Amino acid sequence: MSTSSPAVDALARKVRDGGRLSRSEALTLYAEAPTHLLGRLADEVRAARHPSGVVTYIIDRNVNYTNICVAQCNFCAFYRPVGAADGYVLGFEELFRKIDDTIAVGGEQLLLQGGHNPDLPLEWYEDLFRAVKARYPAFRLHALSPPEVIHLSRLGQVEVSVVIERLMAAGLDSIPGGGAEVLVDRVRRELNCLGKATADEWLDVMRHAHRAGLRTTATMMYGTVERLDERVEHLMRVRDLQDETGGFTAFIAWSFQPSHTERGGTEATGVEYLRTLALARLVLDNVDNLQASWVTQGGKVGQLSLSFGANDMGSVMIEENVVRAAGATFCMDELEIVRNIENAGFTPRRRNMHYELLGDPIAWERDVPRMTALVEARAAGDASVPEELVRYRARTPSGKRQRAPR
Amino acid sequence: MSDDALMAELRETLASDGGLDEVQMRLLDSTDLLSLGMLADEARQRRHGQQTTFVRVAEVAVDASALESLGQAREIRVTGVPASVEAAETAVRAVAGQGVPVTGFALHDLMGLASDHAAEFARLLRVLCDAGLVAVSELAVDRTEDPESAVAVVADAGLAVSRLTIQDARGDARLAWVRTVAGWSFPPRAVQAFAPLPRAEGKTAPESEPATGYDDVRQVALSRLLVDNIDSIQVDWALHGPKLAQVALTFGADDIDAVPAVDADELGPRRTSLEDVRRNIRAASFVPVERDGAFESVTP
Repeated sequence: MSTSSPAVDALARKVRDGGRLSRSEALTLYAEAPTHLLGRLADEVRAARHPSGVVTYIIDRNVNYTNICVAQCNFCAFYRPVGAADGYVLGFEELFRKIDDTIAVGGEQLLLQGGHNPDLPLEWYEDLFRAVKARYPAFRLHALSPPEVIHLSRLGQVEVSVVIERLMAAGLDSIPGGGAEVLVDRVRRELNCLGKATADEWLDVMRHAHRAGLRTTATMMYGTVERLDERVEHLMRVRDLQDETGGFTAFIAWSFQPSHTERGGTEATGVEYLRTLALARLVLDNVDNLQASWVTQGGKVGQLSLSFGANDMGSVMIEENVVRAAGATFCMDELEIVRNIENAGFTPRRRNMHYELLGDPIAWERDVPRMTALVEARAAGDASVPEELVRYRARTPSGKRQRAPR
Repeated sequence: MSDDALMAELRETLASDGGLDEVQMRLLDSTDLLSLGMLADEARQRRHGQQTTFVRVAEVAVDASALESLGQAREIRVTGVPASVEAAETAVRAVAGQGVPVTGFALHDLMGLASDHAAEFARLLRVLCDAGLVAVSELAVDRTEDPESAVAVVADAGLAVSRLTIQDARGDARLAWVRTVAGWSFPPRAVQAFAPLPRAEGKTAPESEPATGYDDVRQVALSRLLVDNIDSIQVDWALHGPKLAQVALTFGADDIDAVPAVDADELGPRRTSLEDVRRNIRAASFVPVERDGAFESVTP
């Protein structure tokens, strides 16, 4: 297929010849290439990297252990300030029950992330991780995005590398790539998230993690205030670190969900998602796996992602709280994910966070209850305070009051 | 299959308005999604250039006493099954004369009202035309007996059919309807659009699996490639949602139906339906053109 743009045609040839795109070339492709050409190129690169035709997914659960957060990013509808009546911290027993439910449907991991809660010290995380590993030795903890690690570092006055070492010693298996938003400080300043982590700080946590032997993912939340060149800059920074460490297993892009957020505004469109995904596949020539974000795009556009560079349908998820708070309410259980993969002409396989194949779908082997909606962290109105919190020192007045002996 | 030679051959045949032979039809069935999308996009652009039309619709139930709000509607659509000829006529007269084209009804409901009697059916259509109706808003191909003849009767009465729809079809039956529609012939401009995505899928048989994104955009693409007797391939903003509707535009659709006529003010000016539909059309690299219920452009 040739286009009316000689520059785009030349870049298409370069991609097909295995060449690496520069910043300006990536920008030209995104700005000028027809959508189908971008998709076709990304699909070719995907097929070359994953010639078996397997599309993977993971059965895990997105658990947000607390919604109390001092970061106050203006794109977030999930957080509650310290002292809010509907702020929560999940107890260890609650988390164990969630793990039991996850294992029951074939899951083997928690994706555990939460707010920057000043009343949860590093010791709480260490105790939680140890308790999980003691009770479920084979269960994986994919936990704490870079800004949470930085928060713990600042809170405990400990180096980032030490935080990572201590969490690994307690049972941390891998780090999710959340909190990256767009790795450009101008953008982060406008999103009021520069304070939680600058672009360099986010990347530095990942560098430390990779050096310590952890694998991580990388993400991008686009569609807020960034320019196209800043979206490309983000991809370049991920690619550069991957060249250096090789520690990213996957890249996941999703669009900002504006409902109920301070920032508000509109959501980037479905076509923009597919184009952004395709561009990521072309630029990130050193990242094996690209996930489809069905949770923000819906099942239909999520499935179409498989023609635009994605080779993974992400997670069955079971529970989700963050994008739901901002208006996204899509749900796909394992059967639905598998059906969509097969319908697109691929072979579904379960995987773990390291993208090692675990086998055929669980639902092919035994009956698994159908799921029509993602579970929430807690039932509405549940304001219970976990018993074990009294063992940890609170820093804020409201935290201290909550933990005072009655 | 992504065979460049095959695609080139198909592209040439389609561009020359030549009919596809049976072998080519079968090959088209098995062609990969992106190649189909490219072909359909080319076919759509030959017909409509960069333009994508949309219409803001105010719906009024046939048994409602009055239109709740006209808003910025460019089409007033009477919905529901009329209890009698008089009820249908009264509903049309109640909203006609406001400078906005009035459409309404599903053709099979009107045929039922005429007890499937040909002369009575023709008389009913003339009554509605006189009352101010410009088009029957829907002809469901899987609910209507002999749709091709029915369209001719509608055209004789001075009306158009806004769109052919499929109510509920799954799997191969979806594509079978596309081929069937492609084989019909209609008087000029008697049918304005074909909406190829089933509208009540799963409602009549809820245990069945819903269509996937691949199923839907493939259906849209094949409709554009095969149905050359209808000018527009239509998707529904409200029914299919903005994301699928927008992606369908890049797979051969050129018209968006059912954009709300009344904006939800609480969402702010950037998220009004009008701005949102325009934004989505532009983001798909097309030029938005607002039309009315008679398929006439109203964009200055």
